[in-house]
Amino acid sequence: MEDENLVELRNIRKAFGEVVALDNVTFSVKKREIHGLLGENGSGKTTLMNILYGLYSPDKGEIYFEGKRVKIPSPFDSIKLGIGMVHQVSTLVPEFTATENIILGTEGDKYTLPINREREKIKEMSKNLGVKFPLNVKVKELSAGIKQKIEIIRALYRGAKLLILDEPTTSLVESEFQELLKSLKALVNGGVTIIFITHKIKEALQACDRVTVLRRGRVQGIEKREDTNKEKLVKLMFMEKEIRVTESAIPKVELPPCKKSKEPVLILKNVSVEGGEKSVGLNNVSFEVYGGEIFGVASVSGNGEKELAEITINPSKIKNGDILISAKSVKNYETLDVFSNGVFYTPEDRIKEGILPEGSIKENILLGHHAKKRFLRNNIFINWEEARKTALDVIKNYNVITPTEELAIRRLSGGNIQKVIIGRAFISPINLLVTHNPTSGLDISTVEFIFKKLVETRNSGSAVLWINEDLDELIIISDRIAVLHKGELKGIFEREEFDKYKIGLLMIGG
Amino acid sequence: MEKDVKRTESSTIIRNIFVYLVSVLLALGIMAIVVLLFGFNVSKVLRTLLTSSFRTSFGFQETIKKTIPLIFTTFAFTLPFRIKFFNIGGWGQMLFGATIVTVVGLTISKSGITLPAYIMIPLLIIVGILAGGFFGLIAGSLTAKYNINPIISTIMLNFVGVQFLNFIATNPYFKDPLEGHPITLPLPKSATLGFFGGIPNSIIFAVISIFFVYILIKKTRLGYEINAIGYNLDAAKTYGINFPRIIILTFFIAGALGGLAGTFEVMNIHKKLVEGFASTSGAQYGTFGILTSLIVAGDPIGVPVAAFFMSVLLVGADALQRTMQVPVELVFLSQALIVLFIVIIRQRFERRV
Repeated sequence: MEDENLVELRNIRKAFGEVVALDNVTFSVKKREIHGLLGENGSGKTTLMNILYGLYSPDKGEIYFEGKRVKIPSPFDSIKLGIGMVHQVSTLVPEFTATENIILGTEGDKYTLPINREREKIKEMSKNLGVKFPLNVKVKELSAGIKQKIEIIRALYRGAKLLILDEPTTSLVESEFQELLKSLKALVNGGVTIIFITHKIKEALQACDRVTVLRRGRVQGIEKREDTNKEKLVKLMFMEKEIRVTESAIPKVELPPCKKSKEPVLILKNVSVEGGEKSVGLNNVSFEVYGGEIFGVASVSGNGEKELAEITINPSKIKNGDILISAKSVKNYETLDVFSNGVFYTPEDRIKEGILPEGSIKENILLGHHAKKRFLRNNIFINWEEARKTALDVIKNYNVITPTEELAIRRLSGGNIQKVIIGRAFISPINLLVTHNPTSGLDISTVEFIFKKLVETRNSGSAVLWINEDLDELIIISDRIAVLHKGELKGIFEREEFDKYKIGLLMIGG
Repeated sequence: MEKDVKRTESSTIIRNIFVYLVSVLLALGIMAIVVLLFGFNVSKVLRTLLTSSFRTSFGFQETIKKTIPLIFTTFAFTLPFRIKFFNIGGWGQMLFGATIVTVVGLTISKSGITLPAYIMIPLLIIVGILAGGFFGLIAGSLTAKYNINPIISTIMLNFVGVQFLNFIATNPYFKDPLEGHPITLPLPKSATLGFFGGIPNSIIFAVISIFFVYILIKKTRLGYEINAIGYNLDAAKTYGINFPRIIILTFFIAGALGGLAGTFEVMNIHKKLVEGFASTSGAQYGTFGILTSLIVAGDPIGVPVAAFFMSVLLVGADALQRTMQVPVELVFLSQALIVLFIVIIRQRFERRV
């Protein structure tokens, strides 16, 4: 009985447009095991779980639950089957107590909310599972670890037999993680099965009985804890199995020799930045980027790469240290001043931070350049004719598929939107391009286009600061790669020294 | 493909006309039913409501008189609405503009200085702009600095505006001793605007304000920055648009436009400050400015048309009350319904697209 599969996904395929997120993935979880799902960002972990949870429907493949073939068209159906998901970010109502949160949305009696009766039930249930938390305190007063326990109990209260934990340790400190481990073991003893999604190898090894490693939408291996180790998992996570290079979704772009400038274009001197809710900030980071080089920064999301990107164009966020562009300190500059010093930027989240969705392509091209003389008349009026011409140039040179420059940009495809964002960076001459995950979610031909553009920029003598979470991409066209982990610079590799294993290990703090 | 876009553009216009037409017809239909239940003659009521503005020159003049301040208060709401903020303070900004203009005008005349009209009039207009702008500036600064929702600050400032007006109108220094009610002394003649064929001369400034707002929004860097923030605040901030500065400026300009509504009411219509002004015309233009702006969804070119239409209904409502004893509230009901229907139908359309 113990070895029976609780859930099995067979030959799952899922594509978004031309991007294949999951390719023939088979994944199974035994009853009462903690099963790790390990992979980098973008490896397909979340897509796979969203399919199991009913948020996406697969293009191909079958799902079996308790031996029976099932269809899961919506989360409502997965909850009915007994699948519960605890998301990365808390979904509790801060102003409600634990009890109120747990019973929220469940069917009470017809007109009354039997809160006292349910509270006893919840108390009983959490006692049996050995998971303790205060029931009558507003959730906003509780720590991240306790909130997570409440979310777990909420899922179980709704009858979950299978619990999916999406990156459950993101907001936990070490002691809370140990506490979570204990709770999970208790749950398993109580008959619950757990899927543990993570990109942290250490945690996977500590928490899980078995681990399935995903990479670029494919299963790279299924490892038992007793038969595996850190080295094996790093290899599976970051390296191609055999000679799959041609099949992989990365285009081949040549990086010809190129002369570096004598003086660096960008200098960071002991820069520290405060972290946010989801990130650690930066701690004493120093490096230099020269003209004529692509300086790659490898980092797992949340390790300070967001702050690094931000301070290059908005230095006011720097707490300590200095930032120089072309040998001039820009620490007190506003973003537009930085831009007028030959810097431009393409943000990580292109929809949220990169575009004005209802604005036309023309208006979007102007964003960030709107204070430049070329686009102004008498410093007050926008030179719309110049903006129109520039937009037409970008549409032509970057092959943006659109009927006119007046079209609202939200009506373009993701790839075309990114082309506008990249094109916008080059409408004025630049010394430094800062670009953050420019290829994420794009199809291979657009990725190739962006690669070529980065190389072209470098060949023309400009500097490129390329912050990217995909190590495979960085290795292809970076001149140097720096690794950022927990807000600290863990090393800079020259192109000759590139080693996926070494760099991958540093990225995850090994 | 060029043709496709043209087609969608013209279909947008047709769609808008359709939305307005259906909304107005639905609202008037419901109003007709209510009117019927009250026992009035429906066709006569509707005829009076819609044609009073056009049957006599007096009716038309009255309509324009209402359209002018309404254009200003509508713009006062429209500009911050473009960055997704609600300026509920058009009323207060209007009253504060009116009050300060009166105070300055009377103080000058009482101190014995006689300024010619060509100095007095521009001076008072600037005073009105600054006074209304000051009220807007308070709300904008509170939002920029402390992230206070402007709905709250502007509503509170409305009360300040009302009480300050009462304070001035009852103040012995400004009050007209011959009047039983709290009314100030009249402004000197050099501080007032005249009429041309029954139409207030301040219409010139209303027309200027239409051009001003249109050019501001469509042609200037500030307008571009306002639009960018309205489209996507995160992207605007990422690409260097200074959000605090823009929101303060936007509220200043909005307040200034609201202040002008009051300025011209005092200089062109009343020629003095009347206490009841706060609760009658003041409240009316403040509230209907918001309604009118919602009808056109922030589009500056639509504003004068919608303001005129609203004024037609207001004049019609007055006529109904006078000639048929139909309560004005019935017309307010239909105005509110028109706005509601337009918002609902427009939303339905957008969701489908």
